[in-house]
Amino acid sequence: MTSTTDTTTIEILPTEPTDTTETTAADASVAVRATQLSKRYGNLLAVNGLDLTVPRGSIFGLIGPNGAGKSTTFAMMSSLLLPTSGRIVVMGADPSRKPRTVRRRMGYMPDNLGVYDNLRVDEYLEFFAASYGIARTEWTDLVDGLLELVDLSVKRTAMVNSLSRGMKQRLSLARALVHDPELLVLDEPASGLDPRARVELRELLKTLNGMGKTIIISSHILSELEEMCTDVAIMEAGKLLAAGPPRQILERLGGARNVRVRFANGASEAFSVADDAEQSALLRRLVVEEGRDVVEFVEESGGLEQLFMSLTEGIVQ
Amino acid sequence: MMMNPVLSRELRERMRTGRAFVVVGIFLSLLTLTAYLVYQGSTTTGDISADLARQTRLGRDLYEWVLFVMLALVLFFVPALTAGAIAGERERQTLLPLQVTLLRPRSILVGKVLAGSSFMLLLLFASLPVMMVAYLLGGIRPLDGLKGVGIICVIAILLTLMVTALSALTRRVQTATLLAYGFTALLVLLGPLLYLTMSVADGSEGNDVENPPALLLALNPITIVADAAAGDNTSNSGFSSNNPLEWARSGVIKAKSLNDDSWFAWFPDDNFRAQFRVEGKDDGFPAWALGVVGLADLAALLSFLAVRRLRTPAETER
Repeated sequence: MTSTTDTTTIEILPTEPTDTTETTAADASVAVRATQLSKRYGNLLAVNGLDLTVPRGSIFGLIGPNGAGKSTTFAMMSSLLLPTSGRIVVMGADPSRKPRTVRRRMGYMPDNLGVYDNLRVDEYLEFFAASYGIARTEWTDLVDGLLELVDLSVKRTAMVNSLSRGMKQRLSLARALVHDPELLVLDEPASGLDPRARVELRELLKTLNGMGKTIIISSHILSELEEMCTDVAIMEAGKLLAAGPPRQILERLGGARNVRVRFANGASEAFSVADDAEQSALLRRLVVEEGRDVVEFVEESGGLEQLFMSLTEGIVQ
Repeated sequence: MMMNPVLSRELRERMRTGRAFVVVGIFLSLLTLTAYLVYQGSTTTGDISADLARQTRLGRDLYEWVLFVMLALVLFFVPALTAGAIAGERERQTLLPLQVTLLRPRSILVGKVLAGSSFMLLLLFASLPVMMVAYLLGGIRPLDGLKGVGIICVIAILLTLMVTALSALTRRVQTATLLAYGFTALLVLLGPLLYLTMSVADGSEGNDVENPPALLLALNPITIVADAAAGDNTSNSGFSSNNPLEWARSGVIKAKSLNDDSWFAWFPDDNFRAQFRVEGKDDGFPAWALGVVGLADLAALLSFLAVRRLRTPAETER
């Protein structure tokens, strides 16, 4: 989308080659790898020995109750916080030792909307383009492209303080994309949004994922993550409880899933199945063996919610 | 070529709000009022148009009063306009997105300082016409006028740097504002208060004249401006002025004369008093330069701490 330039008089961190010693062949398919990552604030162990692998190209949901350590993990990923112990590698570089390499390759959207109210929408994005050292000649096209992507083109010259929360959220996302990062880390991007704005955000994230970006997202709205995420990790009290594709975790835990079937006569029945094989067997039995007129066969959402509830204990640190 | 993004954004935001114009209005109104009151005060005793000596004295007085009020306004407005520079970003949660960009912490600090200083310089240059009234009356040379305004510009820049650095060390705008005003008050009052306290302690021993180090009075914006604005027309040249800068000058001269022979004397090999034109000599290290160097050292120390505080990744959230 954009390229950066070194011909600036402002103090932009210089281009730094990726630390190749840190990138192994195995890491080529990994966007983030945390190994025994811990963060302690005084007596509080906010993140406790976290082992996490985020595959490249995935939409990765980090789930957990308030105080689980999600934002702290994101802050360590984003080169804002130093881990107390353990290691994290983001896009092949250690954010503690090579923060500039990480910053060039990732976009971070914190959970709070930090926007400058006395700027216009285009000026706001131009400011961040300048902060990433992008040449002025590229700003117009860059801003046009980003505003089109987040559907804010009509608000180009509007003041930021006149935008709705949903629009500000999308503007923040555009800001995180300004330097065309490969990895997006989004902390609670859907909080406070109305249903329409949530749907729009979800679609936008799918589009970005389709563009090849790895997305790591935290949210309390589990049904949305379930639909969107290819992988999830569940945290509580700083510890990782489970990680992987949601269905795999459910199956690993031996959890059943609910399938609701609606018949042509208007009747509706719920069935409980253990896995994909059992689900297809159910459909075959209903349609082929019993000859019933099935008009709808839906796996009920709530699987992630069910998973979350079965794994977490509501521990507050 | 690209301007510091923080500076560019700050200037745009600052000039977009009506606040900037209100501050310019207040600043110029107070300076004009000062010039008017000083002029009125001198002309109530009779027409001065035919008395060249009185005119010249009035010109000098007016110049020094305007300089003093200008300095007082700088000391008031710099904390008011700059204290929230970085603490405000933290409070509005706009600092975090900035810290994950490729800007260095010192670029953020420099952008903030340049934006704050630019506005203060705008205020000071806008007040030059008021200063010209004193020039028209006589008693000062154009170079003296420029020197006076120039030294206030330097103080404004250094104070902006120090207050911005303090802002980087705090989390809330309210705390930063209190800290900035407290710090500015200390800068003005600490030296003289220490001097007075030591004078009293010294005098109570009964076997010595009061002679605390006059150096205590140097790191003070009023002393710096008083010395830089002294020019050629001082008390010994027949133009006895009556204004705060003259009082500050007299105070430092007296303090210096009391400890010329002490081990802590202010550059014993030089004659500091010469810088205040007591003996008509012009050698020695100027007092204003000594003060500016002191303030610059303090500003450098605070900036170092501020840059460290802004640096990420860090142990705790910055």
